Amino acid sequence: MATDTQAAAPSHVDESAVVRKRGAGIAYGIIGLLLGAAALAFLGSGDETVFTLDRTLSGARWTVPTRAAVIVMALVVLACAAWMLAGIRRRLFKLAAAIALVAIVIALVSWSVSEPGMVFRTESILAGAVFLSLPFIFGALSGVVCERSGVINIGIEGQFLMGAFTGVLIANITGNVYAGMLGSMAAGALSTMLLALLATKYQVNQVVVGVILNLLALGFTSFMYDQLKKTEGYNSAYGVPSNALDGIGLGFLADIPVIGPVLFDQNLFVYVGLILVFVVWFLLFRTRWGLRTRSVGEHPAAADSMGVAVNRLRFWNVTAAGLISGFGGAFFTLANSLAFTKNMTAGLGFVALAVMIVGRWNPLGVLAGALIFGFASQMAEYLDAAGNSIVPGPFLQMLPYAVTLVVVAGLIGKAKAPAADGVPYNPGDK
Amino acid sequence: MRLELKGLTKKFGSFTADDDIDLVVEPGQIHAVLGENGAGKSTLMNMLYGILKPTSGEILIDGEPVAFSGPGDAIAAGIGMVHQHFKLVGPFSVADNVQLGREHTRGAGVLSARAARQAVRDVSEQYGLRLDPDAICEDLPVGVQQRVEIVKALSGPSTELLILDEPTAVLTPAEISELLDIMRSLAESGTSILFISHKLKEVQAVADTVTVIRRGKVVAELEPTASETEMASAMVGREVTLTVDKAPAEPGEPRLEIEGLMVVDEAGVKALDGLDLTVRAGEIVGLAGVEGNGQTELARAVLGLVRPDAGTIAIDGRRADRTSPAQRIERGLGYIPEDRARDGLITEFTVAENIVLNQYREAPYAKNGVVDAAAVRKRAEDSIAEFDIRTQGPAEPAASLSGGNQQKVVIAREFSRPRRVLVAAQPTRGVDVGATEFIHSRLVTERDTGTAVLLISSELDEIYALADRIAVIYNGRIVGEVGPETPREVIGRLMVGAEAPSTEAESADIEAFDAESPASGGTASGGTAAEGPDEETNGGDRDH
Repeated sequence: MATDTQAAAPSHVDESAVVRKRGAGIAYGIIGLLLGAAALAFLGSGDETVFTLDRTLSGARWTVPTRAAVIVMALVVLACAAWMLAGIRRRLFKLAAAIALVAIVIALVSWSVSEPGMVFRTESILAGAVFLSLPFIFGALSGVVCERSGVINIGIEGQFLMGAFTGVLIANITGNVYAGMLGSMAAGALSTMLLALLATKYQVNQVVVGVILNLLALGFTSFMYDQLKKTEGYNSAYGVPSNALDGIGLGFLADIPVIGPVLFDQNLFVYVGLILVFVVWFLLFRTRWGLRTRSVGEHPAAADSMGVAVNRLRFWNVTAAGLISGFGGAFFTLANSLAFTKNMTAGLGFVALAVMIVGRWNPLGVLAGALIFGFASQMAEYLDAAGNSIVPGPFLQMLPYAVTLVVVAGLIGKAKAPAADGVPYNPGDK
Repeated sequence: MRLELKGLTKKFGSFTADDDIDLVVEPGQIHAVLGENGAGKSTLMNMLYGILKPTSGEILIDGEPVAFSGPGDAIAAGIGMVHQHFKLVGPFSVADNVQLGREHTRGAGVLSARAARQAVRDVSEQYGLRLDPDAICEDLPVGVQQRVEIVKALSGPSTELLILDEPTAVLTPAEISELLDIMRSLAESGTSILFISHKLKEVQAVADTVTVIRRGKVVAELEPTASETEMASAMVGREVTLTVDKAPAEPGEPRLEIEGLMVVDEAGVKALDGLDLTVRAGEIVGLAGVEGNGQTELARAVLGLVRPDAGTIAIDGRRADRTSPAQRIERGLGYIPEDRARDGLITEFTVAENIVLNQYREAPYAKNGVVDAAAVRKRAEDSIAEFDIRTQGPAEPAASLSGGNQQKVVIAREFSRPRRVLVAAQPTRGVDVGATEFIHSRLVTERDTGTAVLLISSELDEIYALADRIAVIYNGRIVGEVGPETPREVIGRLMVGAEAPSTEAESADIEAFDAESPASGGTASGGTAAEGPDEETNGGDRDH
């Protein structure tokens, strides 16, 4: 009886088919040629790039002739471009694009630190990259939880501000930095609760609510900042120990070359962030809650017909996501041992949204995306601080955003959001 | 399970959707509920499944009155439902879709993938519904997706009654015959089935009892042996003729000439592979074939929505394959798309705007680039009267109309200007019996005025009713052109490629047809009633 009638089957993309990617091939080809030509034109044979392990083995140095390094990388880019133009298996295209991008990044990094007196402090820069990826991790994870449940949370920036401000305030009042962390989580959750209520019960346009919440948070924290400035002891810097592992007797791990400073010499926020990535992933893809959450974000009517309370689940998920983004706000103050200042989040909440998309609404993808952005931010900061880089500082501050464009356009391609993302669910609908 | 409805009534404000419905489903019985668009069938089922609360009346299960506050209660009471619009989460696996809402866990809310997979296998084996638990639902053909829905409905704690709401609306003929087999075997194993439909042949084929509903009231209880005319008349409330009167065709000069047409889709598969077809003035050429053999691409290529990779299309003897759709429409091409939600209507626009959608730039609807609202409205009012479009008025959004009336809007638009060639793809899909009758007679009138008509239909009955010449498409080629008197068995064999040259075995979906014997190919198409009225759906707007 049961014969599979495949007549109407949607045809599949053959992943092993050889295709020509002309657009990408030409683009990478041009970049490779420009890079090589620029190296020949502007780099002298005496230019050198020095890599050091600055924190563990201070004697270790590697010196590379910059011009040769950049030209080799340019050749790698050109090879990838030629591969794309000549025909490439569909599934290998992303690999080729990734190799080309990495080569471009290595070339630019070597070039940018080639000035006399500058060295590439490998351990500091990588450790800093991990640390600076935190706001993206927390913000994007919060976004993932919201959007997987079908609610767009564009108000992450606002939740960051609320968390940053409340964290310092509570820490000052209680004199305890950990109480401050809890306070920032509560502040984040309270502000998303408003979004959750408007999005589920009143079915308001979620983008509008998010924008308003951002402005509200900016105005509220700026106002409170001005008020509290008049009194001492409400906005003093509080911080956490710089090495969280020291406290539990694992401080010696920090002496391992490279991975020691990067992974084992960080403060509490880093470990919370990294663990949270895996926790959220596990919850989303391996538990009943996750299955229901994803179904509510993809096809709420289907979930409803199976007895899942769509709007209740959305409400509590969005509120819980606020705990994460609020905690991410504490990064700006408590993790950096800084007092609160007006608009100190500087738009990173929006970059976190981009990271969420780059990470394809998946916590593991978010981690990868956040690390790329963290590295870009760290490089910009490092070159800017060094001061004598060939690239001007304000130009470097564009770097993370330029990376956003390149990564989103070049590597990710068409990302697919949860189908019911941002669509209010009214049980009366068919 | 014995299900009994007593005086079930549902009112929405002053509108009564269901009025005093009595119905009994005996254990192991297939009970068909027949009715036209908006007769109240879906409302009735939604009350049964706990989605809507009855205004009055009661539902009795094995003699005990029950009250459902949501689908969860209905599932717990042993009712499973397969919705007309599938409720499957596309990116989920089959197992995840089946377990949603009643997950298999290892405690602490952690899912057990193995238990979920095993549960699907158990149910599939028990009822003979083959499924791969790990397949991703959105990649599955519609017929298999429906099987997932059935397994989902049967996976309730103790499902004894299955509600199938318009289950065949989106299926291909072969899938339909398979579904009917599944229904029979389910009933044999003791499951009661409530089968909502308006396809008379299917009802005749499987039902044990037929209840006809019209305007929210039970108007007839029939035996499945009742004739199609009897059922159709009960549904519509007047005499319905199921055959089309037409004189022999008088073909004239070729109006649409297609030669060697090739269309390669995104995945690199040849959807059309050197197709040749000529349609002459004053004839209806019926294009028969199992869906997915290139019909969609052919229609879209003729209009110019896809650019052919090779071959030519000529309208009135002039090459047209490099021209835009607008230019082809200008030259007298009319087009009734198979998926009206995607290609036929802008559902957010009003009925009037949709009716002038291909003429809004021309006088009298536009003057100096400004649309003349009064002229548009006048024209819409005329069309609404002429084509009997049931709408509150020309300013209503097209989305507010039922499927059949939306189709009439498309027909009104295409028939409102002089045409040389008409491509009608699935013109009566999702259209009820009265409207089908009307559309068929308009197509014949169209032919008689000299237009060349290409009728693309997956329903053989429709082809037989209208076509003067039948072309059979298989794997993107015409594999035979035959006269209208050719027996079904012959066309059925052509449709599954049985007589096609075996050299063109490159296409991937041949294996699917190998399992189909030529004879069952014939009965499969016979089992789908073309004349049956359809309701508010078509293949394109499943909502997931």
